Amino acid sequence: MTAPAPPTPSTPMPSTRAAAPDGAGAAGGVAGGWAGRARAAAVRPWLLLAPALLVLAVLLLWPLVRVGLFSLQDYGLREITTGEPNWIGLENYREILATPELWTVVLPNTVGFAVLSVVGTVAFGTAVAVLLASLGTFWRTVTSSAIMAAWAMPAVTGTYVWVWIFDADRGVFNDVLMNLGLLDDPTNWFTNRWTFYAIVLLNVIHHGFPFVAVTVLAGLLGVPKEMLEAAEMDGAGSFRRFFSIVVPQLRQVFAVVIILSTIWDFKVFAQVYLMPGGAGSNRSVLNLGVWSYVESFGQNRYGFGSAIAVLLTLLLLAITAVYVRTVLAEEER
Amino acid sequence: MTRAMRRSLAAATGALLVAATTAACGGGGSGDSEGDGTLSVWIMQGTNPDAEDFFADVSTAFEEETGATLDVEFVEWGDAHDRFVTSIAGGTTPDVAETGTTWTPEFADAGALAPLDEYVDGAGVTDDLVEGLVEAGTYDEQLYGMPWYAGVRSLVYNTEMFEQAGVEPPTTWAELEDAAAALKKEFPDKVAVAVPGDAEFTVYPWVWAAGGEVATLDGDTWTSGLDSPEAQEGIGFWTGLATEGGYSSSGATTWRETDVLDSFAAGDVGMAVMGSWTPGAIVEANPDMEGKFAAVPIPGQDGGIAPSVLGGSHLSMFETADDKDLAWTFVEMMTTGEFAQQWAEQSGYFPGQVSLLDETLASTDPLVAPFAEQFVDGGASVPAAPTYGAVQAKLTTSTMMQSILSGDADVATASTAAAEEMTSILNGAG
Repeated sequence: MTAPAPPTPSTPMPSTRAAAPDGAGAAGGVAGGWAGRARAAAVRPWLLLAPALLVLAVLLLWPLVRVGLFSLQDYGLREITTGEPNWIGLENYREILATPELWTVVLPNTVGFAVLSVVGTVAFGTAVAVLLASLGTFWRTVTSSAIMAAWAMPAVTGTYVWVWIFDADRGVFNDVLMNLGLLDDPTNWFTNRWTFYAIVLLNVIHHGFPFVAVTVLAGLLGVPKEMLEAAEMDGAGSFRRFFSIVVPQLRQVFAVVIILSTIWDFKVFAQVYLMPGGAGSNRSVLNLGVWSYVESFGQNRYGFGSAIAVLLTLLLLAITAVYVRTVLAEEER
Repeated sequence: MTRAMRRSLAAATGALLVAATTAACGGGGSGDSEGDGTLSVWIMQGTNPDAEDFFADVSTAFEEETGATLDVEFVEWGDAHDRFVTSIAGGTTPDVAETGTTWTPEFADAGALAPLDEYVDGAGVTDDLVEGLVEAGTYDEQLYGMPWYAGVRSLVYNTEMFEQAGVEPPTTWAELEDAAAALKKEFPDKVAVAVPGDAEFTVYPWVWAAGGEVATLDGDTWTSGLDSPEAQEGIGFWTGLATEGGYSSSGATTWRETDVLDSFAAGDVGMAVMGSWTPGAIVEANPDMEGKFAAVPIPGQDGGIAPSVLGGSHLSMFETADDKDLAWTFVEMMTTGEFAQQWAEQSGYFPGQVSLLDETLASTDPLVAPFAEQFVDGGASVPAAPTYGAVQAKLTTSTMMQSILSGDADVATASTAAAEEMTSILNGAG
């Protein structure tokens, strides 16, 4: 594969990890008076890595371990004040998995929404990227500036704008429908599970597609023109050229945007929480983010919340692992 | 009476505890010299529009009296709960803080607050505090929150719309329904009466007026009464205005109190349950509304006043305060006398001291007098349980309202589910 692709997120880690054993192995093979230097050579990479590893350990690993420890406790306000641990084993995990709401409402909402929004974001983002690639420099700059504005908008602001648009009494949407005679009385779109999530979907796709568009555009511009021309000479139509040449060339790019979008869309919180009824008063629209917030922070049950966080992390790791494996397996073929 | 006995027992325990903590602190020694030091205080932002100037005056007076400096930090209501929790965890709590009435039992239960009974008795104001606020600040028979100020919700109505529809402000439920019908006839495109789905404090008055209870404590066990026939009658009447009468709007199903305020200020609402602190905000949002609205106490079923929640703040002293006597000096200065009066006037709330309230009660302002009447004759408190905050976070009552208003469940089903959930959370594992 020679297609230029942005580095996958996992690149820095394996390369550093690979460097250390290699160095050690090579040095270990040298005998005699070289032993001291060999040991130094074996230690040197770790010495050089130490500051970075230390920072990572303090900033990432320790909080992670703490969350793991909290998840095994009934940890509330009282435990915080007294500082005493309150171990309960796997009780939090048992309680989470035994909550019927999780299986009937929370997970279906989360997974269903994530699938739709990832598909929507990637498809729309790619379409915009193709459009951008075919534009001249001037219009490309104009269009990308416009979509950057959507990207730059904070999630909270964006959500309020969508809420205004669909507001029952003063929203543009109801107004238009009523003027067209399609609607007799104002409808509250936030009380129904499906319309509620349709609005969230619009919001999230609108906010998420610019990243996909920009990333895919970078990949598109690197697809060799010769291959496309050759295919055209062979009689391949534009769809055929796109799916048979461009898409395979961009496999790694798609891997990145799909994995990142999946992670983001699984964790959607503000876009649901800030919608009318989304903070928990409409139980049929709870998703994993809001549910865990209400159940843990709202109830001062930090242990319970940690357990949810651990499960969510494991779930996302599993999804990512499966996806990376499929992409790699296809590449080896 | 048992109440008096409880009070004195509480005072005795309080005295013991205070003695114990002072003894424990003695070694660390801020001592009895009040000549120096700083008192750190957290005050919630947004209650008093003129808070900076107010606290500049308080600082001067405080320094004159004690020689200590006052370090006031303003905290947003929205962030405050999280900040309290993290500061409790880190042992970095302020010496004194304004705590929302529903938080006080929660933080007391966590062991973060110092009991105040001895100080209150010492200052001789025990019998001069507003009952509903004392109730809300009492946990395990000790007072942890010094009543500071509070507001109350009453029925606010648009006088122009009422005149044009030819109706008088209601004094019974039947009159309220008739007024709503007349308003709807005259103004078919407006909201006759706003029945918001996400505003729990607008629901309880109807529950209480019908003789129901939100939750009661028996021994150690809380029981929610939202599913009692009386409570269901109240909830049924209130939601029926929307679901049967069509006097509300479909948008109101997801309204919060801020949305009610916006719509009322825009002149789109005939009547709504709104707080005593809102008249200023209504005029600020829409100066045209000046003089075009008034209030009456929330009508009882067949007359009288329906009880309404006293929402407000305590001043609480934290266990981490080095010099508790200094802290109390500040608390007393703020909650009694001149500064308490001034704060109430500036913020549009009622002071927590009964003797100060008498002046407010004498007011004839049509946007003060009805609220004052409601405050004194129809004030009530939500369950003073440390877990009530958890009920609020779970939006139990709003969930019930929203499912009734959107037609997903009838009153009986929704109120039974809500009562079950509330009972279970109030007696929660914590």
